[in-house]
Amino acid sequence: MDRQAQIDFILDHYENPRHYGPLEDATIVQKGGNPGCGDVVTFYLKVDDEDRINAISFEGEGCTISQAAASLVTEMFTGKTLAEVEATSAETILDILGRELASTRLKCATLGLNTTKEAVRALRKR
Amino acid sequence: MTAKGYAFPDKVVTTEWVAAHLNDPKVRIVESNEDVLLYSRGHIPGAVQIDWVADLNDPIARDYLNKAQFEQLMSRHGIANDTFVVFYGDKSNWWACYALWVFELFGHTNTAVMDGGRLKWEKEGRPMTTEVPSYPATEYRAQDRADYKIRAFRDDVLAHIAAGRPLVDVRSPGEYTGKLYHMEGYPQEGALRAGHIKGAVNVPWARAANPEDGTFKSADELRQIYEVEQGLKPSDNVIAYCRIGERSSHTWFVLKYLLGYPNVRNYDGSWTEWGNLVGVPIER
Repeated sequence: MDRQAQIDFILDHYENPRHYGPLEDATIVQKGGNPGCGDVVTFYLKVDDEDRINAISFEGEGCTISQAAASLVTEMFTGKTLAEVEATSAETILDILGRELASTRLKCATLGLNTTKEAVRALRKR
Repeated sequence: MTAKGYAFPDKVVTTEWVAAHLNDPKVRIVESNEDVLLYSRGHIPGAVQIDWVADLNDPIARDYLNKAQFEQLMSRHGIANDTFVVFYGDKSNWWACYALWVFELFGHTNTAVMDGGRLKWEKEGRPMTTEVPSYPATEYRAQDRADYKIRAFRDDVLAHIAAGRPLVDVRSPGEYTGKLYHMEGYPQEGALRAGHIKGAVNVPWARAANPEDGTFKSADELRQIYEVEQGLKPSDNVIAYCRIGERSSHTWFVLKYLLGYPNVRNYDGSWTEWGNLVGVPIER
């Protein structure tokens, strides 16, 4: 994708966030973000006995990239296992969002991924 | 901006003024945000975007762009040496002030900030566009980057402390008092030590702005904060700092241009440098 296509892709996720809003009967609710800068997200995961994410949603506020990347994460991880979340790197997110834009805002771009990973860590401790 | 009593009223322009100068060839409107895609979602017609990461920072070293890079940046945006550059942006012009500060490192002081930034412009229902303008390239000749005038380095801060001169820590009270080693949620941007530079007073940067519309507070309100509460005076030699020097550029602008302090510097190394240095004085 060229730069404008990447921008359009991110703006589409920002303006039409996927899987937005609280999830009833979530297995875990995980907050993440940077209130000082205004980027906050809450992720809701519904996980079955085989460690598969049957449903994932988020809600939040913040900059375009942080919220678009959170939306992207919900699309990526629906139906995936906890191990697949753990194996997903920031590089994957940057590749999808476009490095030219996202690498200058690495913290924002990875907020959704890191919050989901934090949820997985918390689940593993249970 | 005489109504608000600023020492340099021409350093702040109103949204009305900008609306009346959208097609003024001697004026360039520059949007600078924390949110890198905010400009793409809509901006003031004719405004160009300058991004603090991609455009103003050196990509490798922790420093700003050099003279040649600044000249290229100006040329690309059609900014000439005599262009009046008006900055605006998100978060009460936090990043606009940062960009303005970098411009002034290179001697481009023919600048101002649009009071209220994006928030006020949008609230007033003024026109926005997604069209990215293009201007003829200029032959810009920058001055050498004059770091010594408005920028402080760690050795300057040590000398400042030794001389008993005032410092303003513009971070949150949690960071200032050492309860937080980093901004919440960002452990990778922390430091090995928490607290503040010895002798610094704490005035969170956003106290200088009105939260409802992002405008700067009046000179009287600002004097109440910095002078009555904190004991600063215009003859002071002041250094402001935060975490990486962005929030403190807002306070630098307030002290230098709104209250007219002639000797104010921004320590952009800030806490991410000081809190990792060996043997420097820290208080909690």
